[in-house]
Amino acid sequence: MSAVPLAALRGIVKRFGPVLANDHVSLDVRPGEVHAILGENGAGKSTAMQILYGLYRPDAGEIHWNGAPVAIADPADAIALGIGMVHQEFLLVPPMTVTENVVLGLREGRGPMLDRSGAAARLAAIAARHGLAVDPSARIAYLPIGVQQRVEILKLLYRDARLLILDEPTAVLTPQEKDALFATLRSLRAEGRSVVLVTHKLHEIMAIADRVTVMRGGRVIDTLDVAGTSERDLARRMVGREVVLRVARTPARPGAAALRVEALTARDAAGRATLRGIDLMLHAGEILGIAGVEGNGQSELAEALLGLLPVTGGRILLGREDITRRPVAARRARGMGFIPADRRGTGSITALSVAANAVLGEQRRHTRAGGMLLDRGAIVATAREIVAHFGVRTPNVALPAGKLSGGNLQKLVLGREVRRASRVLVVEQPTRGLDIGAVEAVWQALLAERDAGRAILMISAELDEIMNLADRIAVLFEGRLSTPLPADAVTREQLGLMMAGRDPAAHGRAA
Amino acid sequence: MLNQAFFVTWLAASVGLAGPVLLAAQGEIFAERAGVLNIGLEGTILLGALGSYLAAVATGSTPLGFVAGGVTGLAVGAVLALFYVGAQASQVVVGIVFNILAAGVASYVYDLAAGTSAPTIGLLRPVHLPVLSALPVLGPVLFRHPLPLYLTLLIVVLAQVVLFRTRFGLALIAVGEHPRAAHAAGISVARMRVIGVLLSGLGGGLAGAYLVTAQIGLYRDNIVSGEGFIALAIVIFGRWSPLRSLLAALVFGGADALQLSLQLFNDRVPAQVLLCLPYILTILAVSGLLGGRAQPAALMLPYRKE
Amino acid sequence: MAAPPDRRAASETPAAIAATMLLAALAAFAVAGLLFIPYGTDPLSAYAFLFAEAFGSLRGFGFTLVQATPLILIAQGTVLAWRAGLGYVGFEGCFVLGAAAAAWLALGGTPDGFPYALPPALFFPAVLALSFAAGAVWAGMIGVLRVRFRGNEVLTSLMANYVAAFIVQYLVSGPMRQPGSLPQTPRLPRDTWLPYLIPEARTHAGILIALVASGLVAVLLRATPTGYEIIASGINARAARYGGIPVARRQMLAILLAGGLAALAGLGAVLGVQHRLMDGLAGGAGFVGIVVALLARLDPLAVVPAAILYGGLEVGGAAMQRDTGVPSAVVFILESLVVLFILGSGLLRGWRLPLPWSGRWRATSRKAAE
Repeated sequence: MSAVPLAALRGIVKRFGPVLANDHVSLDVRPGEVHAILGENGAGKSTAMQILYGLYRPDAGEIHWNGAPVAIADPADAIALGIGMVHQEFLLVPPMTVTENVVLGLREGRGPMLDRSGAAARLAAIAARHGLAVDPSARIAYLPIGVQQRVEILKLLYRDARLLILDEPTAVLTPQEKDALFATLRSLRAEGRSVVLVTHKLHEIMAIADRVTVMRGGRVIDTLDVAGTSERDLARRMVGREVVLRVARTPARPGAAALRVEALTARDAAGRATLRGIDLMLHAGEILGIAGVEGNGQSELAEALLGLLPVTGGRILLGREDITRRPVAARRARGMGFIPADRRGTGSITALSVAANAVLGEQRRHTRAGGMLLDRGAIVATAREIVAHFGVRTPNVALPAGKLSGGNLQKLVLGREVRRASRVLVVEQPTRGLDIGAVEAVWQALLAERDAGRAILMISAELDEIMNLADRIAVLFEGRLSTPLPADAVTREQLGLMMAGRDPAAHGRAA
Repeated sequence: MLNQAFFVTWLAASVGLAGPVLLAAQGEIFAERAGVLNIGLEGTILLGALGSYLAAVATGSTPLGFVAGGVTGLAVGAVLALFYVGAQASQVVVGIVFNILAAGVASYVYDLAAGTSAPTIGLLRPVHLPVLSALPVLGPVLFRHPLPLYLTLLIVVLAQVVLFRTRFGLALIAVGEHPRAAHAAGISVARMRVIGVLLSGLGGGLAGAYLVTAQIGLYRDNIVSGEGFIALAIVIFGRWSPLRSLLAALVFGGADALQLSLQLFNDRVPAQVLLCLPYILTILAVSGLLGGRAQPAALMLPYRKE
Repeated sequence: MAAPPDRRAASETPAAIAATMLLAALAAFAVAGLLFIPYGTDPLSAYAFLFAEAFGSLRGFGFTLVQATPLILIAQGTVLAWRAGLGYVGFEGCFVLGAAAAAWLALGGTPDGFPYALPPALFFPAVLALSFAAGAVWAGMIGVLRVRFRGNEVLTSLMANYVAAFIVQYLVSGPMRQPGSLPQTPRLPRDTWLPYLIPEARTHAGILIALVASGLVAVLLRATPTGYEIIASGINARAARYGGIPVARRQMLAILLAGGLAALAGLGAVLGVQHRLMDGLAGGAGFVGIVVALLARLDPLAVVPAAILYGGLEVGGAAMQRDTGVPSAVVFILESLVVLFILGSGLLRGWRLPLPWSGRWRATSRKAAE
């Protein structure tokens, strides 16, 4: 192996407003290696890679390619060097075909005309070589996510990328698709290409990477050979202290049935079934965890329970009352609260103040003059109460909510919903994108609510979260819900199989 | 009443009237495909009309006036691009304000330049294409129009090819559907949008020139009254495709021509009903009642690089 | 735990905003001032003349108020509709239809009139209600197309303006035409005229209607739960729905009110100024009113001074064209430049109005990560 790294970052500094996303980051990638970049959300790993790919310009520092400094001002420059990137959110144009997406932006062939059939043939050849089966004339909008990712990788290979950057590629893959991806990565490595894997999944790093660079708070902490480290070791470097991977959870004492869902079905705009007969029963004083890879009906289930999604069949019962056709406001009035996955886009109105957000949905309970005028005093009081009780860090309640950090915004949303939800709390991806401190705070708050007698339905893609908080666990796969099992009766491996649609009992002995 | 002569006259008039708005629509298709809605098209056509008129009067050459209209439109497009793309301003606001500005500027400049005299210019006479114009029915309908119409039809075909068969067209469509994806593919979103707006300006300017040099022959303050908005409607009605916009333009031209023809035959139907018709058709086309989901996903939404 | 510092930038303080707006306005005046030069006048004395005409005397100010009245009403309509997230621009149509409804009632419905005359005490409330309703219904139809069928309200309302104009054109050429060949209605009866507040300038009571409406809109948006819901719906409809707000209903309410207000502007024109219905009554007020609302940054209280400013500019411009031959088109140019420059300066500071259709493009294939 040559001593000259393929790509190197030297002293990269990048600021976004007051946030220092990259603080003198230096790392290098050798030819023919799979190099993981490990860090939590906000560690700066995505930023560093986006700088390498030319999507951002660094405030200071250099980029080296094959030993020589280069200027990468734009993705076009990166592509020209042989760098390619697959983002967390795929950058594919939905109405266009696979072939069109692959050749987009390419300057190949004679003249300005497109050569769709020639490109399709070349594409098919590359796909075959690396086991990435795909139909060149299919439109992206109709392809499942796993196949879309293959198209993203094909885009890079079509341009003969020597360095492929994959940003959290397994976030939406089933275990089977992950295996296929890793096989592809091994095949790429064998060809002498390099892969940078940006991730926070420790077991994936152990499985596929050669070396790993750990980042924390915008800085590079360490670069190590994977062979010489362990998950526990990496986790410690990632958070800077012994990770408390568990929270203390007293046994649940479930009470009466608070929420019942019977044979719930729903379809999406294209007519495809998204929920296929969901049955569940939620009791007061328990947390029911719904695990599963995103894209299997999670958001549809949450929206159906909230009242934002019309259902095509089945019933939702709150206590004894059928609320299936009731509007959102009515469900809230009867004691349901919802913490959405998208705290900035759905859970709050970031342009409005903290105070205004503290009463979102409750504005008609903070009025005077017979309900005609808003009672500003009452609104401010409510806001202050939430801020104090849930530890929301803000200089005042008049600040636009969008200025709060992710963790503080989530605490605001949580506080608001918890305050109002007298019976049932539906929670979706509650700690996505939060730092360890905020995650612990949210977990503690949810457990406190459970102990106070609330019924909590938690939909989460993070197995850690499910295993730590849930009293009973069910898995959502392709719109179907498995039978909920007590938390101490399932292992991670069994959950993993269920998330891929396999029944652990039929699978025989777990490996 | 529906005898062949009426029919032929009506069709010929439809094609003729469709010309200017069809031309403006081609440029606008490129702008909207890139994600920019140019409401200021109305003002653009107005300024193009003025530019072509003044140039034709000054040089005494009507064809030169036609070209000048295009140049004016291009300049207008550059200014609009500055606001739409450079400043990332709200497209609706800029468009509305620009229309007012354009009306003011046109009126001011015309007053300054022409004062009290308002000479007419020599119209671009209809061109009878050899052989083809002698065909029955199709002859008068398609082949006896002034040159700008044939230019327009050529542009429609060219636009169709460029948009759907070239790399540039693919890139443009991507910019309007998923700007981030286009950016990550190495395409400059801003550049594509600027090109789109410039083309919209060019099309609008030429459309104004078409009105003045081939249809009306002079300039007055209210010479453009809704053509820009009809062009916008045609773009949508035609699902942002040049060939389909041709059909849409014919529908609008047909309604317009019907109103003129019927006045000769029957004055019990109030003229306003027919004058209304294109606008009502547009509302229907845009209302969502007839689908219309083919809109570029990023239309009207600014894209910011970080 | 100490409270973290307020991280809002210095450029967002009220002082900074006011300063940049003022600078932008002055720049616009300076640029437009150049337009006077070819006519042999210097900008400063031209502006002095303009402002003296508009604000320097009771009579002039009275004229200004007459011009400002429809601008205030239409601007408030813009504030309501745009803050609710609807890019509605069909105020010209509501204006002329409101005027037509008012004229219809004033004339007693037919050329022969009602069999009985409405006493003024009954007439004025009735005509206000009818006119408001006409505009509300007209705007409401466009609202339904947008809210239920997702039709682009910018384009549908623009087209609807032409349809409304043709409707009125038909009315004044046919059923409601006075005997003779002019396309207009007979003069309206004297006791349907809005009373004059400043007789020498024929400043009619419409200004009171406009001011009362402004107060109501301000209270609605700032101090009522319904107003909160309208604003929330306009900024982020998804979050509003999540919070239980009936977004479609609030948007419909906003657009109905907006159309009604614009119709009252038409009522003012017909019962207060022209005293008959004719073609082309709106004269572009439907769009200048939008510009006034933008100048006021969609704030209902700021609308009043902004409208008075623009009303004054138009009075001054008309006087200037009469007396010195400088075309009043200069005023149109000035009005648009002021708004363009102010919006441009705001953008330079990185601040954005909550305008409909100005939201950031966002991939819909997967939700954005934190």
